[in-house]
Amino acid sequence: MAKLLPDNITKQVKEVFSSMEGSVKALLFKSEKNCDYCSTAEQMLQELSEIEGKISYEVHDLASETAAKYGIELAPSMVLLNPEGDDKGVRFLGIPAGHEFGTLLQDIVSFSKGAISDLSKDSIKRIETINSPVDIKVFVTTTCPYCPKAVLTAHNIAMVNKNITAYMVEANEFQEMSKKFGVSSVPQIVINDKVTFVGAYPEGQFVDQVMKAI
Amino acid sequence: MSFFELGSAKKSELKDFYDVTIIGGGPGGITAGIYAVQAGLNPLIIEKALDGGQMNNTQTVENWTGFASISGMELSEKMAEHAREFDVSFTYAEVVDIDGEGQNKEVILDNGKKIKSRVIVVATGSNPRKLGVMGEEDFKGRGISYCATCDGHFFADKHIAVIGGGNSALDESLYLSKMVRKITIVQNLPKLTADKLLQKKLNDTGKVEYIYSSVLDSVEGDSQVRKINIKNVDSGEITSLEVDGIFVFIGLIPNTQFLKGKLEMNGFGYIKTDDFMETKTKGVYAIGDVREKEVRQIVTAAADGAIAIYHAARNYFSE
Repeated sequence: MAKLLPDNITKQVKEVFSSMEGSVKALLFKSEKNCDYCSTAEQMLQELSEIEGKISYEVHDLASETAAKYGIELAPSMVLLNPEGDDKGVRFLGIPAGHEFGTLLQDIVSFSKGAISDLSKDSIKRIETINSPVDIKVFVTTTCPYCPKAVLTAHNIAMVNKNITAYMVEANEFQEMSKKFGVSSVPQIVINDKVTFVGAYPEGQFVDQVMKAI
Repeated sequence: MSFFELGSAKKSELKDFYDVTIIGGGPGGITAGIYAVQAGLNPLIIEKALDGGQMNNTQTVENWTGFASISGMELSEKMAEHAREFDVSFTYAEVVDIDGEGQNKEVILDNGKKIKSRVIVVATGSNPRKLGVMGEEDFKGRGISYCATCDGHFFADKHIAVIGGGNSALDESLYLSKMVRKITIVQNLPKLTADKLLQKKLNDTGKVEYIYSSVLDSVEGDSQVRKINIKNVDSGEITSLEVDGIFVFIGLIPNTQFLKGKLEMNGFGYIKTDDFMETKTKGVYAIGDVREKEVRQIVTAAADGAIAIYHAARNYFSE
């Protein structure tokens, strides 16, 4: 099969991964039916694991118990696990291609360091107080320059508190879901299906919206 | 763009102190970074989204010398790659505040980090201007968009209105014409102000209609935009047009909100500088679109960057 990642990208990926510490496992959820990007997603993980030995991946079916355990209902989806095997609530629904590829790489590096949130002390303090489930969906398109910032902020919020799950949702791939939430501009963020905003807000304002949704 | 982009994953390890902190990674900021390294200085570029800034939203650039035609995204990558070759450091965050007074200046990021430097270069560029009409805020994210590359896909085979008749409006329309069924351009003047070459390219798509001397009056719809009401600026007459979406490109506003009260600005929020790009606050410079000036182009932003660093190197780092 032809390589997915061209040589120049592979070289840059290597550089990014040079700061990895522990090992990271990605769980990929696939389905046989209606999944245009499942095999592409698998090939991408395959190539990333060849570039950096600290990265491994497992493939699971959407109908599996593992999928149920991680609450995954769409394919392709990805869950990252840190060196201790901990799930930190970081999810990708759809393949993180285009500008979202950089998001995946940064998440992998931070998971290799235990998935310690990169947010300010102030934000972390506020997020730590949350004691009910929070679900953050960040709708993106892979051609959107402002989307990675929104996804990274959401993922870093999830890393702080085990009550929080943060999804990147590729809006073109999951049109039904996008329609349900009326997505026509990205990034669109939906928190607990009730608080919605559009745009890559600075960290503090993003956290404000999360607190509003509780 | 390619199928996989690294974007902000290419961040450098962050230090506490740099000779020069450059806020904004567009053509001005990147050029300033390169000139700083060449002057023996240690610069940091802070970008909030993508290397290249607003250039990423420009489909085709045809006035950057040396390239007859290049996509804004490709030019962005090339510029950032050039800077990385010279070991310019990059980090990705939004700047929320600066302290530009005195010798030790400080820049505060939205993730709480603080970066000290001797010189600050503000190269934050500008953002799309909003219309300020009835319904705009209600329909933001429900059919009103300011970014064709971000949201164009949602309007495949639909009829959209593009508000504005300048270069960015037509450039973005050209991109949108690849996916939408029909574009109606609403221009406030009796003619377009975009370059003639661009006008011809857009006409050749056969998908565009023009409504001149008209402005958007209000937006109507339900869960999505359904209709716009357009007002003729001469007669005052209002006509309605059924559309599925609206893309707004009516010019830009400078990204200087976080600098209010810190640096001297004109009434539109553009930063005032002297001929060397220095503000009244010593050691704080402003370059590119964010500066009060006549011509806002990639090439003038880059030139501003070179001039600012030339001056800063001689005045603050000569000992």
